[in-house]
Amino acid sequence: MRLLRFEHFKPSSLEEALTAMQESAGNVRVLAGGTDLLVNMKCGLEQPGLIVSIGSLPELNTIAEDPSGDLRIGAGMNLSELAENSLLAAKAPALRDAIKSIASQHIRNMATLGGNVCLDTRCWYYNQSKLWRASRPACYKTGGDQCHATRGSERCHAINSADTAPALIALGAQVVVQKKGSQRQIPAEDFYRDHGARHTVLEPDELLSGLVIPCGNETGKTHFLKISRRQGIDFALGSIAAHLAGNGSTCHSARLVIGSLGSAPIVLEKTAQVLVEAGLSQESIQAAAEAARSELGVLTTLFSSAGYKRDLAQVLVKRVLHSFIKKPTTQKRTRR
Amino acid sequence: MSTKRSTYSIVGKSRPKLDAPLKSTGRSLFTDDIVLPGMLHGKIVRSPIAHGRIVNIDTSRAERLQGVKAVITHRDTGGVMVGPDQMLLCDDTVNYIGDEVAAVAAVDEETAAEAAELIQVEYEPLPAILTLQEASAPDAPILHTYCEDNFADERTMVYGDPDKAFAESEYVRSDEFISNPTHNCFAELHVALADYSLPGKLSMWTPSQTAILFQKNLAQNLGLSESNVRMCCLNTGGAFSGRTDVKPHHYIAALLSRKAARPVKIMCSVDEEFIVCRAGGNNIYRFKTGFMKDGTLKVIEADMLHDCGAYVETQFIVLLLTGIMLQLLYKVEAMRYQGKLVYTNNIPYYFHHGGGMTPEQFALGQHLDLVARDLGIDPVDLQLKNAVEKGYTTLSGTHYASCGLKECIKKAARKAGWKKKYGKLPPYRGIGIGCGVMSSGGKGMFVHDTSAAFIKIAEDGKASLFTGLPDMGQGSHTTMAIIAAEALGITTEDITVVSGDTDIDPFDVGSFSQRGTFTTGNAVKAACLDAKKQLAKTAALKLGVKPSALVFKQRSVYPKGAPEQAMAFEDIVFDTLHSKEGRFVMGRGFYNSPSDKASLAYSFGTQIAEVEVDPETGFVKLLRMTVAHDVGRAINPLAVEGQLDGQAFSGAGQILFEECLMDSGQILNPSRLDYKLPRPFELFEIEHIIVETNDPFGPFGAKEVAEGPLVTTAQTIANAVSNAIGYPIKEIPVTPERILEALKQKQKQH
Repeated sequence: MRLLRFEHFKPSSLEEALTAMQESAGNVRVLAGGTDLLVNMKCGLEQPGLIVSIGSLPELNTIAEDPSGDLRIGAGMNLSELAENSLLAAKAPALRDAIKSIASQHIRNMATLGGNVCLDTRCWYYNQSKLWRASRPACYKTGGDQCHATRGSERCHAINSADTAPALIALGAQVVVQKKGSQRQIPAEDFYRDHGARHTVLEPDELLSGLVIPCGNETGKTHFLKISRRQGIDFALGSIAAHLAGNGSTCHSARLVIGSLGSAPIVLEKTAQVLVEAGLSQESIQAAAEAARSELGVLTTLFSSAGYKRDLAQVLVKRVLHSFIKKPTTQKRTRR
Repeated sequence: MSTKRSTYSIVGKSRPKLDAPLKSTGRSLFTDDIVLPGMLHGKIVRSPIAHGRIVNIDTSRAERLQGVKAVITHRDTGGVMVGPDQMLLCDDTVNYIGDEVAAVAAVDEETAAEAAELIQVEYEPLPAILTLQEASAPDAPILHTYCEDNFADERTMVYGDPDKAFAESEYVRSDEFISNPTHNCFAELHVALADYSLPGKLSMWTPSQTAILFQKNLAQNLGLSESNVRMCCLNTGGAFSGRTDVKPHHYIAALLSRKAARPVKIMCSVDEEFIVCRAGGNNIYRFKTGFMKDGTLKVIEADMLHDCGAYVETQFIVLLLTGIMLQLLYKVEAMRYQGKLVYTNNIPYYFHHGGGMTPEQFALGQHLDLVARDLGIDPVDLQLKNAVEKGYTTLSGTHYASCGLKECIKKAARKAGWKKKYGKLPPYRGIGIGCGVMSSGGKGMFVHDTSAAFIKIAEDGKASLFTGLPDMGQGSHTTMAIIAAEALGITTEDITVVSGDTDIDPFDVGSFSQRGTFTTGNAVKAACLDAKKQLAKTAALKLGVKPSALVFKQRSVYPKGAPEQAMAFEDIVFDTLHSKEGRFVMGRGFYNSPSDKASLAYSFGTQIAEVEVDPETGFVKLLRMTVAHDVGRAINPLAVEGQLDGQAFSGAGQILFEECLMDSGQILNPSRLDYKLPRPFELFEIEHIIVETNDPFGPFGAKEVAEGPLVTTAQTIANAVSNAIGYPIKEIPVTPERILEALKQKQKQH
């Protein structure tokens, strides 16, 4: 599979990039690490006429603490560099863990944070060559009017596998979106849409320029967990990020976000409520895990059965919450 | 067992592969490295539907595209049949998603791809038959209209009196198992470079396990004499039983080259790869066995249904192998086997690593494990009680001149700490044992199973060894060099292995059916002894002793017991040439098993796996595997360990990870990302136990260590998982979802 012909523009400033985006809106894609876009282009899933390379723009390659104590990360920051960044490790270790879990070292060496946040949704029936796709009519994601993964459904069920997404939402991060002449900042949660064919709110002339992680006034801790079939180069079967704030076993606030089970990260509000009401204990963890099962809503059978996804969500909630409790030194095991 | 290792100077000593420096620095040549002047790139147009009639093919737009040099359809093939039921390029019917319909050759890959898209094929869809059940139903529509039903092949084997044996049995158990489709995942994609630009002579570069079979089939089907087909099989990036025969893309490259009068290379894409060679199929295995209460096996009955896919490729051989296999491992009074191969509109299945015996042996192994549980017998004791031994002759007449099965079982059990662990592990930890047998060679395809070898020795004492045995990465050429060096009394570094060109190489059936070390090894040894005889004549004259009293060792030749009189090996070679006779030293040899069975030598193995199952996610962690194999003699212990590791890892993949997920005849996961082939992070600890039984027929006593270990791995891991969860494993691969499902079923029963 080879790339088809396209124009390539390497702007020297973010401003130049935004101008190009505006002029070619609808026929332009930004390229940073290229680990997602180029693969999709080779499959003929995207054929932009213009590629704007933003990977080396200095404006997008920064990580710093702002005066309020919040962490600002440029979208162009490389994942391998972030994985080793001491500021990120100190301020948002859960995001660092999520980043470390992405793909493989080689891919992280190329990929960027913004690229992972915007990672296209995936589907067995979509991420295929032209030859493969010729066997079936077009689906919602390729311009048709059906979903092959969930037959009869009125929307695309392609799965959002971005590992950083649940972590950013749990951390309460804001996404900075820019276009020529304007900028908007939206909560990470609102950046995603529960629709596989159009999974972010990005407009054709917009690009994701950075992320703001509130660290200044935030108390509490965040943990991230990912379960994938293989240890290296694999998308998650399911992932979770949880942010809890409180004293001891009391819990003032809780945010739990599941990744890779649907077209958008799933924010478990009822599950969080269980914890706020009951505090953090062995019993409440069990109750929260069960609450998560029913809170997931309708799930697709894409990549794994809906039943297994539910089992996995329950396990993820349980395990991520356990990481907030100090592990007992000796674990008693019963014999069969 | 006693070993004679000490008497050998090279055999039995570990050494890295001869080509390791070349491969690890990227200097080894593979087919895609070959670029010929004027070479074109080919692309195949494939059917997007599982079953249908071709109404019309319009190639005119493709032909008009600049850069296109040849377009072919069925009309250009001259009626070439790829197999008994498969035409080269479909004429009026397509039978699976991926069936070859047309092909183009163009100046570059992009143009070829564009031209392929410009070929307009109009289809009239027909109902597709996709499951074994549908296809074998009495009223099923018939897929190949010239057949009476959808049974592509049937095979029955009966030995002894199964009915009587069942009647006498004190315990009878039946089980049904299912295997799902798999793929070999070669490191090197399928590729063929054909140069047929001059009429009457075809040269082809392609990865292969057997240049000879490719040469024969291509010659026969293209109407050429065999010598006018030159096969160049350079390094092969993995074969796993999947490169044993010519496939349509080889013929297509040849015909495109003939039409364009330029060389044509066809390189398959990764997803095409899953269509070009799909390995294991969706098979159903039904076992029924009869035992005495003390665990003595009396009778095995098996009924197997194999999905053949749209065309019979190698599956008829699988039908034979899986049948004969049933009575090779255990002493049994009687056996009855019925195997059926069923046509469907799935992609034609092929050999997967293990030739169909890996899933079959999973099924038998798990069945026996369940028997042991029912009878309250330790599985190790059940294996020991029924294991074949040296001197035993099976129901089919196979005689074991060497057999280390019991030694393997005992040593593996001891090393794995079986007694301390079986039945005593904490919840969701499990241990399992499996045993296997494998022939060192595969006589049956021809009347003979011949390998030949030449060796020429230069004046500096260095030798060139000519063999037609391919090296697919397993290190066969290094093994041949070791055998040659030992036979001649020189070092492995003195040997250059010349291989991979049928214009040069002597005949060799190929590198499959575990025949390399045993069969070609014997041929190489014979060639070297021939050369040695020529040298001994010179040395005997010089040293004044009889040729039989000479010792050839470590590049020197001396009378037995008198190493101080040693002459340098190269001096003998020099003197032989620089004499009145002027003899240039060349040895020749060949080997063909005199037996009418698959082989004279069989290897045996035992494995023990320890696993931990996560009952919440269904994930299996392989904690440790103990792999014991009776290799007769380890020619190169390092390579033996490599084979044991590779086989165990491959088997673990087949049992735990690998599955082609299907929807309407199409593979949903034709990529290395979604077909969950395990990667290095999934590696586990492997303990090796090399058992040496010094086979009387093997070169220096050696037997196979090719697919033998592999057929044991799947059952071993399945038994361990079953032991961990306390529930039978009835379908493979044992994915996390299937494990959670089994745990739920178990809960329901309690």
